[in-house]
Amino acid sequence: MLAGSYLNQKRVRERYDIIGFISSGTYGRVFKARGRTGQVGEFAIKKFKPDKEGELQYTGISQSAIREMALCTELSNPNVVHTVEIILEDKCIYIIFEYAEHDLLQIIHYHTQTSRPAIPPMVIKSILYQLLNGVLYLNRNWVMHRDLKPANIMVTSAGAVKIGDLGLARLFYKPQATLFAGDKVVVTIWYRAPELLLGSRHYTTAIDLWAVGCIFAELLSLRPIFKGEEAKMDGKKSVPFQRNQMQKIVEILGLPTVDRWPLLKHMPEYGQLSNLAQGNSRVLNPVGLEKWYTSTVAHNRYVVPNSSPPGTKPDVPGRDGLALLQGLLEYDPMKRLTAEQALQHPYFPTNQAERDVLGKNCFAWSFTDYPNRRVSSDDNDIRTSSLPGTKRGGLPDDSLRPGKRLKE
Amino acid sequence: MAANYWDSSQRRYWTFTRQELADIRQRLEDKHRHLVQLYPLPDRRLLNIFFCQQLQRFSKRGTLGTKQQALATAQVYMRRFYSKVEIRETNPYLVLSTALYLACKVEECPQHIRHVVGEARQTWPDVITSDTSKMGETEFALISVMSSQLIVHHPYRTLLDLSPTFNLSPDELSLAWWIINDHYVTDLPLLHSPHVIALTAALLAVVLNPVQAAWSAGKEKELAAMRSGGAAAMRSDGDPVQKVGAILQHGMHQNRAVQAAMQSVVQAALGSAFSGGGAAGQELPGSGNTGGAGGAPTPALSAKVQKMMNWLAESEVDIEAMVDCTQEMISLYEVWETYKEKDCKEVIGKFVKGRGLDK
Repeated sequence: MLAGSYLNQKRVRERYDIIGFISSGTYGRVFKARGRTGQVGEFAIKKFKPDKEGELQYTGISQSAIREMALCTELSNPNVVHTVEIILEDKCIYIIFEYAEHDLLQIIHYHTQTSRPAIPPMVIKSILYQLLNGVLYLNRNWVMHRDLKPANIMVTSAGAVKIGDLGLARLFYKPQATLFAGDKVVVTIWYRAPELLLGSRHYTTAIDLWAVGCIFAELLSLRPIFKGEEAKMDGKKSVPFQRNQMQKIVEILGLPTVDRWPLLKHMPEYGQLSNLAQGNSRVLNPVGLEKWYTSTVAHNRYVVPNSSPPGTKPDVPGRDGLALLQGLLEYDPMKRLTAEQALQHPYFPTNQAERDVLGKNCFAWSFTDYPNRRVSSDDNDIRTSSLPGTKRGGLPDDSLRPGKRLKE
Repeated sequence: MAANYWDSSQRRYWTFTRQELADIRQRLEDKHRHLVQLYPLPDRRLLNIFFCQQLQRFSKRGTLGTKQQALATAQVYMRRFYSKVEIRETNPYLVLSTALYLACKVEECPQHIRHVVGEARQTWPDVITSDTSKMGETEFALISVMSSQLIVHHPYRTLLDLSPTFNLSPDELSLAWWIINDHYVTDLPLLHSPHVIALTAALLAVVLNPVQAAWSAGKEKELAAMRSGGAAAMRSDGDPVQKVGAILQHGMHQNRAVQAAMQSVVQAALGSAFSGGGAAGQELPGSGNTGGAGGAPTPALSAKVQKMMNWLAESEVDIEAMVDCTQEMISLYEVWETYKEKDCKEVIGKFVKGRGLDK
């Protein structure tokens, strides 16, 4: 078909030394690498899995991979993981990212061990500030991330927070079909906004801000605030109502009301709300976000850094933190804070110099040395198509993303 | 970025000056001197018209039903790809169907590869095989050559956004829309920003719509008035009267009178609004017996055109670029008259078959 030599201009193994294997998921595998041709720093190479196991033929690239490639080449922001290059070689796609030593999931896990104190409030504030800046950049550029969760938020060893994994992201400028038509299920269930759970066809960037709210809550309490169980797709076409997840939200926030969320009545799954209480008394006696917040903060053992002057009280997330959390976990997507509004919230300082400090290094207030990302060197052959036992379910593109994508 | 043209890969990597584009193409030709001599090709625009029509035919096939935006994106992919790859090294039918397959994914109207290959095989049975891996491989080539820069900004959005500002009538809007459709066969998508192209299309539409309407309605008096007003010049040996709708549907190249009028009117308009803007009083090649496209006052310019001119003068739009776009479109419609589908099909067939690129 095509004669000529323009294919394979670049070869991964000529340009990078693979140090080891980081993780695998439905999308493929991620490796840690170092440059061979003088590139500065370390890299994470995401190798997309071919659609079928052991595929020896070109089968066409999945739409999610195309989206990720297209967006990664356009995006450029300090709070979004930087894409170094994309290499297409031997029927495989490699996206080379800047390397980040940590991610929020790993940081949260580190703190969950009982002997350890909670994440310092200023660290949380800085993480949130940087995360919101990244979301603001994406949303301003008509990009919805659609899969924000702790595992997708990277943190470099210098304390820079960077949004990663744009595998579900897409442009939303005047979509041709409803967003629902393309991808029936978006956002890992625990971080899924109520309008999605209630079957909304036309959702907005507000879904990303709900996820930010969930992440904020998780940074405070070290566990997912709404840890529901995912109802599996029973048939092939119909998407089940995520009853358990909705219950988890209602147990804390209470039932949404038409009063506070006027368009609620028009949600396809609106009828489901009335019987949420059946067999679950907590639905009718919700904790309330305020109580959740105050007891979470009280329960956290915030410590005073050794370096502080004697008699200093620990820094505790205050009322402003609660107000911001309430603004992000607002049922009505129209009333939910936008990234821009959230960044203007009194929770954050108004002084630009202070904001700049907040935006730079979240570890500036940390007295923890987080362990480095685990890299296994047993499997550093990037050529092999896949690990045994990481079979892909043969799902059609975009139809479903299972709840947890990282193998742990 | 994605929604910001100024930071986009399109502006940074895929917008060239005419000289840069000429140099790129010269280097490519020099590298393939033998092939170039062996398989002579017609004017690039004629080939592009052919590809555009093939693409349209293909995309309109019952089950594909592609939307306009994907079609436009696919054409831009073709322009970009062939600025870096010698066309005689490729099977253009495979490249264009793959460009559409890829564009559909990027524009969020995906089609399964097997489906696209099936339709392509039906459309061009003698040059497309049923092997889907060929399209998969070509997709890799397209993406590699374009450095994964797949998001394309189109003029349609600017046109729709500005349509209320310029108070465009439905006829003017669709005329502008068709001009934008047509610009994809030129080099303009590689030369100018989408908003310059959108503004040029809107201006052309506003200026030409009355000429076209009067012509198609056969209103000799109005035409005469326009002529004497110095704004519009019509060829006295004009084509048979056509209905506006028909002209719109078939593109402006169908109507030579409109084409000639376009030349002089736009020259006059741009000239009067921006003295020294570059086009005033300048005779374009083949402009024929234009009726006074000087820098003189042009009473026939409608209030609408005048308002638009004022808007442009106040905005920071690159007027030189708009003049360049206008001239490119005019010369396109001239070249279009020499277009014969059969000729293009033959020359492409020669190198595809001759070099076994269809295998």
